[in-house]
Amino acid sequence: MPYYRCIIPKDALSFEQRQDIARAFTDIHCDSTGAPRSFVSVAFFETPDGEQPELGSEYYLDGGNRAGRSEEVKQQLLADLTQAFSDVSGVPAEQIPGRIRENPASWTMEGGFVLPEPGQEGPEWYAEVAAAAAD
Amino acid sequence: MITFNCTIQEGIIPDDLRPALASELARISTGILGGDPAEVSVQWIEVPHGFGFRGGELSTTSAVRGEIPPGCEQETRVLLMHAIQDRWMELTGCTTAELVVSARDRRET
Repeated sequence: MPYYRCIIPKDALSFEQRQDIARAFTDIHCDSTGAPRSFVSVAFFETPDGEQPELGSEYYLDGGNRAGRSEEVKQQLLADLTQAFSDVSGVPAEQIPGRIRENPASWTMEGGFVLPEPGQEGPEWYAEVAAAAAD
Repeated sequence: MITFNCTIQEGIIPDDLRPALASELARISTGILGGDPAEVSVQWIEVPHGFGFRGGELSTTSAVRGEIPPGCEQETRVLLMHAIQDRWMELTGCTTAELVVSARDRRET
């Protein structure tokens, strides 16, 4: 967590565009939440030619985050992600619907640790995560 | 019913290892939560090379996302996640930094 799935048409984005979007999403998420960069996952899934898009739109941003952030923070996060995707891809932002789903942090283990709730990370947790990532 | 969605990066988990991983997910989860291993569903989602990123760089991370019957005690949930993590690392050789495990309550419909 966080995990952002980007549904896109086949061959819609080059590798460089996908990486630029992934880096932008990582920057936006970390700036907004303070999460470690190494926790931000972004994956792109192409809809094969002739198939109906999984979530009903050619482009769709499907995020999964820890629960516990304010609605305002969540809406701003989604708006910023959508704008970044639009900036890199050239697809108008209004054609990129999205959502951010949430689950309790305690339901996920990452880097060998059960995730703390948002705002409960503390310096010890960041140090443990950094040490695990360096192993 | 217990289900697992395993999202893996292309080329990271050999195809011939998947049956053993699925079998172990079923064995471990039913050993801790109860139930019949034959009724555990394991699905694989492979992210093509160049399509998965972590921290803005190409990802080697696998994510094992379990859905379990609601109402599980947190202590049991943590036990399950640890057991899956340990066995997955043992079978695949990945590090803790390359694995995300979750055990979320199944949403009632």
